[in-house]
Amino acid sequence: GEGRALPGGADGPAGPSQRIRSQNIVPCTVSQLLAAEQVDETFRIRDVEISQVTVMGIIRHAEKAPTNILYKVDDMTAAPMDVRQWVDTDEAGSENVVVPPGTYVKVAGHLRSFQNKKSLVAFKIMPLENMNEFTTHMLEIVNTHMILRKNLMSASRVPQSFSSTGIGDVGGYGGGGGLPVNGLTAHQSQVLNLIKNCPVPEGMSLQELKVQLHNMSMSTIKQAVEFLSSEGHIYSTVDDDHYKSTDAE
Amino acid sequence: IHPTGKLFVLSDGEGKHATVELSEPLEEEISGVVEVVGRVTNQATIMCMSYVQFREDKSPFDLEIYNEALKIIHEFPEYFPFS
Repeated sequence: GEGRALPGGADGPAGPSQRIRSQNIVPCTVSQLLAAEQVDETFRIRDVEISQVTVMGIIRHAEKAPTNILYKVDDMTAAPMDVRQWVDTDEAGSENVVVPPGTYVKVAGHLRSFQNKKSLVAFKIMPLENMNEFTTHMLEIVNTHMILRKNLMSASRVPQSFSSTGIGDVGGYGGGGGLPVNGLTAHQSQVLNLIKNCPVPEGMSLQELKVQLHNMSMSTIKQAVEFLSSEGHIYSTVDDDHYKSTDAE
Repeated sequence: IHPTGKLFVLSDGEGKHATVELSEPLEEEISGVVEVVGRVTNQATIMCMSYVQFREDKSPFDLEIYNEALKIIHEFPEYFPFS
């Protein structure tokens, strides 16, 4: 099924080295994947373990073989990457349709390395219908890698509680908000960061959040605010529309 | 787009203009948001190697926010490397 984006987190009590399990699906650039170091069966990008990834780029080449389709996907951060999609030979229909070169796609798959050459085995390739997702993807890459790395570095951090709201936010790959990290989805993290960095005494208003987060609907923002508030990350100030962070400087 | 079809001007997310030169004249009408891959020349124009028109049939592309995102990724080369 599609329930692969599970919360990654510390594997239990104590332990000076908090490994982020590679159960997350991590948005990456091709350049990051190429630079990832492999130790035995695991890949690491700057010490962060990765396995399932998403990349977004344009198809430069597509080659159909009996059992698989080989694409070359280019996100302009490095040379186009080989992406292989296995074809179910018994099933006629959408699995066998080749996405034409010149199309921007979102690829979700596993990173592989064979004879020192990296490639992806895709479990989902989706043409982008809204190019604004590309912008979101770029920002999610920076945000996710930063958060994952920060989690690794702060060894004394107490594992946060994982709320089912965080997992409920993960719905397919179109939404783009579904990476629960440290109990917070990407949407919630973005909202929290904006609220944290707001210098105004009465805090950040919902309207201001909507202005800053163009591609997030008001209801998503409200859900994120409710969750963050119930977890104690933020509190309301002058009214229910204004919030400040509980650990603002 | 210049009448010869070998040159067009793009406006970015901040309203700044860039001139794009092509080695062959355009063979199609282009409009809307275009992504150009090319080299910067001494005259500060872009020598186009390839271009693609963005799909805007379902949703318009927010160029201003894309511009902001670009600035952010350039601020964090450790998390968004260009090899």
